[in-house]
Amino acid sequence: MADFNWRTLNIDALDPESAYNFDLTTLTPEVQPVSSSDVQTLSGQVRQILRGGNAEAALRGALENAPYGADEQGKAMHLSVVTEVLGQIRQAEMTPLLQRMYKDDGGSELCDTLMKYLYKGMGQGHPSSASGSKNLTPQATGFSQVGGRNFGGGEGGGQAMSVFLSWHEKLVEMVGPGSIVRVMSDRRTV
Amino acid sequence: MSQSLRPYLSCVRSTLTAALSLSNFASQAAERHNVPEIEAASSPELLLNPLTVSRNAEERVLVEPSVNSVRVSIRIKQADEIEHILVHKFTRFLTQRAEAFFILRRKAVPGYDISFLITNLHTEEMLKHKLVDFIIEFMEEVDKEISEMKLFLNARARFVAESFLTPFD
Repeated sequence: MADFNWRTLNIDALDPESAYNFDLTTLTPEVQPVSSSDVQTLSGQVRQILRGGNAEAALRGALENAPYGADEQGKAMHLSVVTEVLGQIRQAEMTPLLQRMYKDDGGSELCDTLMKYLYKGMGQGHPSSASGSKNLTPQATGFSQVGGRNFGGGEGGGQAMSVFLSWHEKLVEMVGPGSIVRVMSDRRTV
Repeated sequence: MSQSLRPYLSCVRSTLTAALSLSNFASQAAERHNVPEIEAASSPELLLNPLTVSRNAEERVLVEPSVNSVRVSIRIKQADEIEHILVHKFTRFLTQRAEAFFILRRKAVPGYDISFLITNLHTEEMLKHKLVDFIIEFMEEVDKEISEMKLFLNARARFVAESFLTPFD
């Protein structure tokens, strides 16, 4: 009978009226679902433009058609394309490119999308934040925290991160912190 | 300051400045309660998208904003086992004295070494840019502190080994 601890029950979860069960879809603007194959076609097109040497058009194309309605796999695919494009653009070209993009119609929205991809790009690479705590060996001494961390290769990914960081710096310089707030509050994630 | 540290810290600074827009917000679940929503997680509408800023695979900052509180977690650089032990001891020392630091969280978020919890009370009592400065300064200082401690430790170990082995000379 009592094989569960009723004290740990979250009774708010059982109440359909409670804030715990708030329907988040009412906060999300309408996005149409995008299939993975559509994302793949789009990434192919973006890569083609990039190979043609027009990195700015490639970036614009990738940001304008950000697949908000895609599943995790599709979003990851699009992120890798955006990362590729960002890596191709040289440091000196960043600011003029961003300025041109920002001045155009709907430019601030593109900048917000770019900001989303920058944070998403920095957030990837360590998917399970709790992975370090898995192989902890609790001991009688209570000294349990040491271990469970892989050393070596710690600088891995530093190159890609520094690309994101310099883009972020240039972008914030231009559009200000409001863009970051929009990344935090926009329920349409990339 | 190293080449990649400056953009990292400026990125953390702008992220924190944006995230620290907090307002007073009473709990929706219990009357006359006022809890940090990021910890309570009692209503999903009040939590915003978490942001990660990373310098490389081992050094990163996680900013989890909500309507009335922000949780900032830092993963400190640890190149080898000695630094790992030193960071553990150092953060343990700090977290045991968490009351004196006001914004320090007693326990770090899993996967990170030290966490701060900033609520709207803190932003009302203290200056927002000073709070951001404190965290940036902490991040700058902690790396310096750890590598300094490592140097001292190695020097001490060498001295101890020398004086231990002199009688056998």
